[in-house]
Amino acid sequence: MNKNYFEQLEETLYNETLPNGLDVYILPKKGFSKTFVTFTTKYGSIDREFIPLGKDEPVIVPDGIAHFLEHKMFEKEEGDVFQKFSEKGASANAFTSFTRTAYLFSSTDHVLDNTKTLLDFVQQPYFTEQTVEKEKGIIGQEITMYDDQPDWRLYFGTIENMYKEYPVKIDIAGTIETISHITADHLYECYNTFYHPSNMVLFVVGAVNQEEMMGFIKADQAAKTFEEPQEIKRFYPEEQEAVDIKERTLKMDVQKPKVLFGIKASNTDISGDEMLNYELAMQVAIEMLFGRSSAFYQEIYENGWIDESYSADFSMEQGYGFTMIGSDTVNPTELTEKIKETIKRYASNWNLEEEDLQRIVRKKIGFFLRALNSIEYIANQFTRYSFNDMNLFDVVPALEKLTMDQVKEAFQSLTNEDAHTVFTILPFEKNND
Amino acid sequence: MFQQFELASGVKLFVRPTEQFKTINISFKWKQPLTVEKASIRAVLANILQFSNEVYPTNVAFRKRLDDLYGTVLYFDTTKKGSHHIFSLNAETVNDAYLSNEKIVDEVFSLLHTVIFKPNLVNGKFDEAIVKREKEQVIERIQSMYDDKTRYAQQRLLENIRPNKAASISSNGTVDAVKAITNDQLVEMHQELLTKDNLSIYIVGDVNVDEIKEKMTNHFSFVDRTEVLEKAEEVPNEKNDKNFLHEIQEMKQGKLHIAYQTPITFFSEEFPVMQLTNGILGGFSHSKIFMNVREKESMAYYASSSYSSLYGLIFVLAGIESNLQEKAVALIDEQLKALQAGEISDLELNQTKSMLTNQLKEALDSARAQIEIYDQYKELNTSFTVDNWIEKWKDVTKEQIQQTALTIEKEFVYFLSGKEGAANE
Repeated sequence: MNKNYFEQLEETLYNETLPNGLDVYILPKKGFSKTFVTFTTKYGSIDREFIPLGKDEPVIVPDGIAHFLEHKMFEKEEGDVFQKFSEKGASANAFTSFTRTAYLFSSTDHVLDNTKTLLDFVQQPYFTEQTVEKEKGIIGQEITMYDDQPDWRLYFGTIENMYKEYPVKIDIAGTIETISHITADHLYECYNTFYHPSNMVLFVVGAVNQEEMMGFIKADQAAKTFEEPQEIKRFYPEEQEAVDIKERTLKMDVQKPKVLFGIKASNTDISGDEMLNYELAMQVAIEMLFGRSSAFYQEIYENGWIDESYSADFSMEQGYGFTMIGSDTVNPTELTEKIKETIKRYASNWNLEEEDLQRIVRKKIGFFLRALNSIEYIANQFTRYSFNDMNLFDVVPALEKLTMDQVKEAFQSLTNEDAHTVFTILPFEKNND
Repeated sequence: MFQQFELASGVKLFVRPTEQFKTINISFKWKQPLTVEKASIRAVLANILQFSNEVYPTNVAFRKRLDDLYGTVLYFDTTKKGSHHIFSLNAETVNDAYLSNEKIVDEVFSLLHTVIFKPNLVNGKFDEAIVKREKEQVIERIQSMYDDKTRYAQQRLLENIRPNKAASISSNGTVDAVKAITNDQLVEMHQELLTKDNLSIYIVGDVNVDEIKEKMTNHFSFVDRTEVLEKAEEVPNEKNDKNFLHEIQEMKQGKLHIAYQTPITFFSEEFPVMQLTNGILGGFSHSKIFMNVREKESMAYYASSSYSSLYGLIFVLAGIESNLQEKAVALIDEQLKALQAGEISDLELNQTKSMLTNQLKEALDSARAQIEIYDQYKELNTSFTVDNWIEKWKDVTKEQIQQTALTIEKEFVYFLSGKEGAANE
């Protein structure tokens, strides 16, 4: 078992890669009552084209299948796994993103029993045509629920504007139509390909003894048989630099317009330190130009063009990435024009000082230290970082080393107007009532 | 859990030293009886104090100061608890121990003093432009609820069952009441915070209790609260003969919200039993409602119940196909009937006890939750500890649960859906 001490953070991380390829990480936290365990596969909604385990030809599976599979993992021949977790006082859950599917629980008692339940239910699939059909009604309601959420439609509409081919443009849950084609055979095919231990990470954090926990996990995995690890062949389409659609509007039953200005990232085929530095530089650039202490923010706030829903963020995974800036606003056009103008102005005259950079770096370090109080944040983010060959605990040193040149370079990728897009949600026109 | 000190009459300090967190959490909670007018004034005042103050008269100067202090989080907030309105100031700052050679905790205390005691006044008034804009921001916050269909449906339900009562009054007030606010009322409310409101201050983190007490007395001087703020007059329950309302919006899913009443509240002897009763009914993913409405009938993605103990109300929420409203209500009715008939398995009972126990213990892993739980439970006359509370659930029997279930009475069904749902009326 490897041991890594991060002095400034006063955290010790233990890890080991098991013979079946599973990466196990354990982070004991003193003073905590609960233990949080996540079991995550590097498999999300963008993984729709791949060569199934033991086959030679690539297949394309129905949209929404990774999420559907996540739902179906909880149902077993003997019943619902939630029942088992509840008996041992564990809150269990799962989520599917563009790139990952995570299963998790937290509990203050019976932690080993619950870990066993987690490992077993994720490693013992059980799908029948009947249980698959039953789930279509439940997921149908989940899709409908998101359809009625204007903020989700805004976010997703902006991504759809940006991407022409890349499957990040496909809704994680699919549509009622696409999930209607899903069969038990599809689920087994995806399961067998992506749920091999060598494609997964187990992260344990909280009130835990590392020796006991590691021993327990090793014994459990040694007692199960898995095929030899194989490289998973996934296929992603080529994506153009420019956005697919420059502007789109959707009408919904809302009281006030909502707008998002999206900027498609150009340099996303990266990982490791390169990704860490680029991502941090980009986030710092966005914060300096569009954060709450920026001149831009002050002006639009005082103009009354934004409200408390305002946000400006950058996020990426290998293969795609985007900046999004927006708010509920009665002045969507003025706001997006101002964003464009601000980008142009800084492109021709970068009048930000070292002092501004250091202030934002301090802010981000503070945010990170606060986040480390949350064991959920640690487990989820650590896994994301590790799938991209980065280490979460390198964030503070990387921030401290960040230079203005790196920030300026990251900012350059925002200036290509072909990469800009706008999505607006407008209220229905009301009759005078 | 917390060590308690009286800083002035009506002003209490609660400190919990712990090495669990890398930050220090501070919370000021000013409390007074809840009315629509007061809630509105306080919501706008919170925004104004958040915007600027005497030392940092522009928002950009204030924000930069917070960024400099390692992104110290500092925000005002308004909430309600039972029949009280809570005006709060929350701060979270990095513990000096994790920074090389910096002392920011003292700086944060001095900033807290500034935002509370040194508002940005000119000739005894707030800047009119700021007042106007922040009133607008609060109005927009109230209106934005319309876009969140679950919150909107819940608010419509409350307005129908408890009009003009604490249960339905929003901690932001109403659009009309916010529009009517004057500059003088805001200044006066600020004075009330400083002299009249009951104030509780919470501090959680790796702190030395004596040092913190000293910092508090050095930085702040609180005056005794001599006047007892009078409770809002109890409006009698308006007799409502309606028990169903279906409203239409342009939307896809049907939002079903059902209200039940019970005489058992947070202050009742049977409160811990009712927590279990609600848990078995619909609080968890092993509960009757989840198992039947979602898992058995595949009618919903979410289907659950929650117990609003300060108001003696239970709510069941489910997102369903809009033409299945009657079927869903009947199915949910059956679950409550089963509970009232004592159909409770050993498994359900044990699962619910384990889950509630875990939930309470887990909450202690967040400093904010430690503050919120203690702030509520200290209102009870017994001294609250987690272990004591868990003990209260341990020996609860099925018969006790059945008895409390029998006090639950269905009061109102509210349904919000798209047009196609209207067809079956």
